[in-house]
Amino acid sequence: MNFVNSFRAEWLKRRRSLASWLVVVGAFFTPSIITASRIKNHAALAPLYAADDFWRKLWNQSWESMEVFLLPIGIILATGLIAQIEYKNNTWKQLHTTPQSYTTVYAAKLLVVLLMLVQVFALFNVGVYLSAVIPSALFAGVPYPAAPIPFDDFWAANVNFFVDCLPIVALQYLLSLHFRNFLVPVGAGFALWFLGVGLLSWEYSYLFPYNHGAINFLTATGHFDGRKVPFRVEHLALVYAAAFTAAGWLLYVTKREKG
Amino acid sequence: MGCCVETVDLTHRFSEAEPALDRVRLQVTEGSIYGFLGPNGAGKTTTLRLILGLLKKQRGEIYVFGRPFTETRVETLRRLGSMIESPSIYAHLTAAENLQILQRVYRCPKRRVEEVLEVVGLARTGRKRAGQFSLGMKQRLGLALALLHAPTLLVLDEPTNGLDPNGILEMRGLLRTLNREHGVTILVSSHLLSEVEKLVTHVGIINHGRLLFQGTLAELLSRRRANASVVFETDDDAKAELVIRGLALSPNAVPGGVAIRGLEREQVAGVNRALVESGVGVFQIGRVESDLEKIFLDMVGG
Repeated sequence: MNFVNSFRAEWLKRRRSLASWLVVVGAFFTPSIITASRIKNHAALAPLYAADDFWRKLWNQSWESMEVFLLPIGIILATGLIAQIEYKNNTWKQLHTTPQSYTTVYAAKLLVVLLMLVQVFALFNVGVYLSAVIPSALFAGVPYPAAPIPFDDFWAANVNFFVDCLPIVALQYLLSLHFRNFLVPVGAGFALWFLGVGLLSWEYSYLFPYNHGAINFLTATGHFDGRKVPFRVEHLALVYAAAFTAAGWLLYVTKREKG
Repeated sequence: MGCCVETVDLTHRFSEAEPALDRVRLQVTEGSIYGFLGPNGAGKTTTLRLILGLLKKQRGEIYVFGRPFTETRVETLRRLGSMIESPSIYAHLTAAENLQILQRVYRCPKRRVEEVLEVVGLARTGRKRAGQFSLGMKQRLGLALALLHAPTLLVLDEPTNGLDPNGILEMRGLLRTLNREHGVTILVSSHLLSEVEKLVTHVGIINHGRLLFQGTLAELLSRRRANASVVFETDDDAKAELVIRGLALSPNAVPGGVAIRGLEREQVAGVNRALVESGVGVFQIGRVESDLEKIFLDMVGG
């Protein structure tokens, strides 16, 4: 029960925060652009909506910018902003004089970040669906997509992409808790993400923790030779996430000054 | 009465230089209002942060409610409310939401949120975000956060900072009520003795990391009496000084007369008699007590 209450308290803190707005904006950004583009070009949509692979194409189009670009940047910013709620308001000292173990506080905050990521995924999926149906609802010449939605495939892809994000979440969380200055975790995160993009053509790019989502997506769309990866990147992502979470916890509980 | 907070030889260094705290032995009696005094940078906040576990202890022991703090941290914090330096408030949330966060952590009844808002006079702030509050309102919200779970020990660091005179009076009244009617032990720091002398029952004075005085307010007041001077207003102060020196006393020339420090009540008549017999006219005899602020400044070398 202690943990549940701690989590509920942490969840309340994100209300009206910049991080909570980032979830909504980030999740609907790409679907909004796709929707706008389809509304503009509605006259040419009929054949597309009748195609058997309508949902697959839309899915790939939507995830392209999300997986490689928006999701890592969103995680870097949102994780930093969650930690900044305490730094900016000078509230670590209040939080650390409440009857909670440091482990509970650490885990509760991390769960908030993870649940916000779940929110992003859920809203993004809703956004993808809306980007398909809004044009057909608005224009008589655009039919409702004929192909059935491949729920199982989409669910599996969601789970894989989510797991791929975990190392970024864990490392950014570590940095965000450790450094008071918001620019440090955000700057480090951007630098690591840039480095990851630069390394994508490297043979062992799958070893870099910020690359798993991109590799997964590029493999699924045929732009990356998945045979180069001797194991499932999700497994490596889980190992990295566990290692970064443990390291972050150790740094957090042994911090000399707690507010 | 036992000790609610006790530190044994608490020593802390931020660098290799002079220690920020040097073997501090604080003893806060249960049921007391303990004024922890010292100038800025004396070591008050460092002591309080160590007591609350916000700084990692280096040397010495800290006991809260008679038990070692580090071993019983979570359990101890359940009975303790605190406000260190500026109030810790989530600026993007309302006063009630700020309290709801702690209400969830402490698992206290929801009605407590409204109750403490009423107590500190913030019940009608509604949807106004705490970031838009005045400094005084923030200070009161900080106190509400400290009071929410009805703690038995309150640790407050400079709680009247930023309050107007009326706010200071209100805060003082509130703390007194909590102490007298609810038995809350209060450890309150300040750099102004005059600000807390009307409130506290016990006093600790710290400077350069060393505890210079610790005792009841009555003990501090007796020091004041011991330091009192009797001033003789005469028609010839120079001659009066000579006469008084002849009585083996040490007079000081002060504006408007000659002062003798530490003069007992019975000696006053004798000095007066000697002055009159020597032909010195005595117009007025008065007792001047050093105020507590003066004693405090003398102790801290101000």
